[in-house]
Amino acid sequence: MKVYQCDQCEYASVSNKYRCPSCGTGNLQEQDVSSKGTVYSYTDIHIAPAEFAHLAPYTVALIQLDESKAKVTVRTDGNVQIGDVAELDYVEDGAYIYRKC
Amino acid sequence: MTNVYIEGIGMTKFGKFVDKSMKQLLVEASIEALENAGNPKVDAVFVGNFMGGSIGNQEILGALVANELGLGYIPTAKVEGACASGGIALRQGIMGILSGEYDTVLIAGVEKMKHASTADVTQAINAAMDNDSNEKQAGLTFPGFFGVLANRYFYETDATKEHLAMIALKNRENALHNPLAQFQKPTTMEEIMEARIITSPLGLFDCSPTTDGAAALVITRKKGAIHIRSSAQSSGPTQMQDADDLLSLPAVRESGRLAYEKAGVGPEDIDVVEIHDCFSMTEMLAIEELGFFNKREGWLAVEQGRTTATGDKPVNTSGGLLSRGHPIGATGVAQMYQLVQQLRGTAPNQVEHARLALAQNLGGTGSYSTVHILERL
Ligand SMILES: [Zn+2]
Repeated sequence: MKVYQCDQCEYASVSNKYRCPSCGTGNLQEQDVSSKGTVYSYTDIHIAPAEFAHLAPYTVALIQLDESKAKVTVRTDGNVQIGDVAELDYVEDGAYIYRKC
Repeated sequence: MTNVYIEGIGMTKFGKFVDKSMKQLLVEASIEALENAGNPKVDAVFVGNFMGGSIGNQEILGALVANELGLGYIPTAKVEGACASGGIALRQGIMGILSGEYDTVLIAGVEKMKHASTADVTQAINAAMDNDSNEKQAGLTFPGFFGVLANRYFYETDATKEHLAMIALKNRENALHNPLAQFQKPTTMEEIMEARIITSPLGLFDCSPTTDGAAALVITRKKGAIHIRSSAQSSGPTQMQDADDLLSLPAVRESGRLAYEKAGVGPEDIDVVEIHDCFSMTEMLAIEELGFFNKREGWLAVEQGRTTATGDKPVNTSGGLLSRGHPIGATGVAQMYQLVQQLRGTAPNQVEHARLALAQNLGGTGSYSTVHILERL
């Protein structure tokens, strides 16, 4: 999992930015970290836009990564609860698909 | 402090109007606002609108209004800021008067959504998300964002789905007294709790509807009874995964802080509030972010009835987006319509002796927020 870590402060994100939005002065440096993390929160989506309707109901979760301050939004394979440990299973059409460990 | 006053207000009924065009709705609300203001000369028009182009194939809304009303060859523009389009349009008008360029500005907001299929509307609304992201590709939706927030809120506090239902019920009960509101059928806690799930834990009543409707305001530098004490706007993260604190909406917090600072008042001074309750959960977070209640304690205030029309901090006496309806571009302007009526003493669910009023309008999943503070002179 790629994350972008500020070289001046604690800020980290899974997406790069021109400048650190937290301290305003630091630059974000690309890092490779483990995809493993903990479910921070989630929702089971029953009503989906057309392009995801064939998947509904499906679960989208926000994962707090173990090795970074960054969080990442993923789709999970099956239901999850807050606190569940999960990791990347595969990437599909730009989406991270996670499964419980 | 601004030197801008609201002189006139107008609003169509909110609901489903298949036989009326977007232009007709806009013109109807605008004429009412102009008449209410005593038909002053208008120097500029700003129209808030989000999806007129994508699902109505109609743009140039500013020029349409100027032409239909015969306002002359004045400058006009459409302003887009997702669900905050109306609030930002108002702010652009205020900026135009503050700059010295205009004396009097017509602000209108409109949306027409009911003619389109659910799939088309959902697709159009998704334009307010960051579509070039792994988050959108994961299948996160607009309601889904607030579902994720709600589950975390329940985890960190003793709040439950019932507290969200209390918000939905309150706003529905307020709408019952508002003749312009979309929903005027009473409901119950049971019906709200048992309604079908849209995105857990949010059910049908936790989500604002699609709506046709328009609202308009005439603002001017000429001193009047309703003073715009301050106008503030902020941006926030465009992706959930970039939230520093998931249970915070930084754009709401920051626009509120700026509005209080400019107005020289605090949350304790505000008598009546219109908040952007696109979802019941959004109202929960916004009442905390605007400083009315402590962080993670909004649910207690809801439980104690403090945000009802007769509570000490009445929120969404119009019925809010949940029950007055949410014609996206019109919402920020419709909030002002209700607050001006509150300050004039003619509102549905009138709050006694209301003197200071606050409106907060949100765009995207926390991408934009405006806050305006009004004062009765
Ligand atoms: Zn930094």
